[in-house]
Amino acid sequence: MPRPPARLRLAVIAGLAAVALGGCAPQPVSVEGEAVKTLYDIFLAVAAAVFVVVAGLIGWSIVRYGDRGDDRQISSTHENLRLELLWWALPTVLVIVLFILTAQVLGRVDERTDDPGLTVTVTGFQWQWRFAYEGSDVVLTGLPGEPPTLVLPVGERVALDLESPDVIHSFWVPQFLIKRDVVPGRTNRIELTVEEPGTYSGLCGEFCGLLHHRMRFSIEAVPADAFHAWLEGGGEGIP
Amino acid sequence: MTAMTGAPPVEEPARIIDYLTTTDHKKIGVMYLVTAVGFLVVGGILALIMRAELAFPELQLLDESTYNQLFTMHGTGMIFFAIVPLGIGFANYLLPLQVGAPDVAFPRLNALSYWLYLAGGLVAFSGFLTASGAAAFGWYGYPPLSNETYSPGAGPNLWIMGLILSGASGILGSVNFIATVFTMRAPGMTMFRVPIFTWNILVVSLLILLTFPVLTAALALLFIDRTVSNAFFTPEAGSNSILWQHLFWFFGHPEVYIMALPFFGVVSEVVPVFSGKRIFGYRALVFATVLIGAYSFSVWAHHMFTTGAVSNLFFAATSFLIAIPTGVKFFTWIATMWRGRIRLATPMLFVIGFLFQFLVGGISGVFLASPPIDYQAHDSYYVVAHMHYVLFGGSAFAAFAAFYFWIPKISGRMLSEGLGKAHFWLVLIGFNLTFFPMHQLGLDGMARRVADYPANPGWGETNLVISLASGLIAVGTALFVWNVVRSVWMGCGAPAGHDPWGGHSLEWATSSPPPHHNFVAMPPIRSERPAWDARQAAAAEPRDG
Repeated sequence: MPRPPARLRLAVIAGLAAVALGGCAPQPVSVEGEAVKTLYDIFLAVAAAVFVVVAGLIGWSIVRYGDRGDDRQISSTHENLRLELLWWALPTVLVIVLFILTAQVLGRVDERTDDPGLTVTVTGFQWQWRFAYEGSDVVLTGLPGEPPTLVLPVGERVALDLESPDVIHSFWVPQFLIKRDVVPGRTNRIELTVEEPGTYSGLCGEFCGLLHHRMRFSIEAVPADAFHAWLEGGGEGIP
Repeated sequence: MTAMTGAPPVEEPARIIDYLTTTDHKKIGVMYLVTAVGFLVVGGILALIMRAELAFPELQLLDESTYNQLFTMHGTGMIFFAIVPLGIGFANYLLPLQVGAPDVAFPRLNALSYWLYLAGGLVAFSGFLTASGAAAFGWYGYPPLSNETYSPGAGPNLWIMGLILSGASGILGSVNFIATVFTMRAPGMTMFRVPIFTWNILVVSLLILLTFPVLTAALALLFIDRTVSNAFFTPEAGSNSILWQHLFWFFGHPEVYIMALPFFGVVSEVVPVFSGKRIFGYRALVFATVLIGAYSFSVWAHHMFTTGAVSNLFFAATSFLIAIPTGVKFFTWIATMWRGRIRLATPMLFVIGFLFQFLVGGISGVFLASPPIDYQAHDSYYVVAHMHYVLFGGSAFAAFAAFYFWIPKISGRMLSEGLGKAHFWLVLIGFNLTFFPMHQLGLDGMARRVADYPANPGWGETNLVISLASGLIAVGTALFVWNVVRSVWMGCGAPAGHDPWGGHSLEWATSSPPPHHNFVAMPPIRSERPAWDARQAAAAEPRDG
């Protein structure tokens, strides 16, 4: 077999490259986002291994057992109980492990506290956002061409109550690695703790009609004292 | 057997009127396939227009209203009127041949199925001719957006009617396939000798029979909501917009397998023939197919992880489970190639493309089955990438394999291998350059179904590459259409003989094209590959074809 090893190496390299390009989740800026990112990275490592093994086997069969016009004996094996049990068992073990990891992270991401420090009612409507801070008169509403900015404190647990008066929208902040639908007739709550100060973009994730793509907003995460001063000062400008 | 070789039998060439009035499963199969390719081309053109708009940030060619109609009808057209009918079309042509029957159980019903399908497609697309345009709420039409308040006009009603018609077509067709498999198998064709493709169609038929009525009911309720008054899916009316999502995805996830299983069947037919081997683990493959079909009823709410209205952990568990029988299929295909003698003719090339691409789509599916990861990836371009790796890189590639594999049987003419290979490489490169980068765009925060996107660093360049690559797919597909026109319609293809590939199942034991009632004589059926057995028995004679 002079040719296959080189080609096999090529296939493995190509496979790894493909997986590497297959996407990295954004650098998270929230506590919950970090848990999701860690989970994602584990999935990516498992996926890379599975891809390399399976694609390698496919590539190897094609190259090694290609028809070269010789009289090589064709295998007549068409059953092998042990082998078949093995390949029922392998993916079973794998998905059980992935499920357990998923369950742990899901518990953290979906955890709800009875008394979060700050609650903001987020209203998504065609095609803008409104942010109303509980226990204060601060209400920020976007206007066409002027998307609103949701100001959040760093290091404090925040609850967002998502509500819609019209159709289904979805509240998505890619750098928080969280998305939750904004459904008319029900209030969905998400809770999170921002870790890094900064400006982040958010958008509507669920198609909601004509100007869906313009339904965007900003998030400004600022230190907690600056945030509370801003809130008590009536929410003027951006701290 | 030798009497069946050589040029196609001299028969009166079929006239248009023969097709319009036929109840012959083969002619109906051909009509399904031609119509489905027609919708595939239309759906592809809609996609190309979208990609032209998305090549650069900001709106250039279209307004939002047009863009929203395009992606809605692209999804609707591809799913209901292209991919599913491609599977049904091949099933129509091949299933009676594979079980050794002269036709399907109810030939007139079969003709009605086709005409309902065609009518459904035309009605749904006729929305483009109305003043307010076609439906523009996405192929899964979530209320309240899809109700009369937010989507007025005739287009959405035509969309509903078109889907109801095509649903009726699917239900009648599945009854026909189930009855044919259970009652019309040739003597000796036990259930465990039925070819894998036909097994897949049997499972698909059961899925259609159990889920299309749910879709039809949901559509009827939506129609009443739209035309009389909101009652079923609107919170103000005391109801719940999530209800639609349960009904829709209870249909919609089995639908994914309705679009995938026929093509798993194709792959399971092509791999052994071009490896010169018997399929590995036939019974395990049948078991895996039935298991996938059964599991597919339990996973629907993984489309709803972000609604906050379902038990995410439960549906994550069921969704992970379905990876197991799917993985088993991969190992079975690999084991079939293992130590065989693999011929890289065009059908096998497309199957190899399927194997790699469906692997990617299957793996990204496991990511999406994990709710925390889905919270990021849901409704983003990651899902667009995943779904196209499954339905295009998977199902459509296998459909192309099926065309190259069975058109010689259907027409008696070989397709050009040169054009076929050019088609394969263009679509392979075009497909992967188009859809692979979408994984990253989605994770980075590009939502699906947007007419425009912000000019974030790298997004413009990536989208431009995607748009250019989608042109390669168009060129490749045009080569395919030209190949069929040239080889079959213009008659330039070499005569196929009755068995050009060394086939295994019964369709390769009759002439190409088969006579009116399929078989003049039939070899004895002692395994799942009677044509192979007949060749072995006649081993003293030179090989046919």
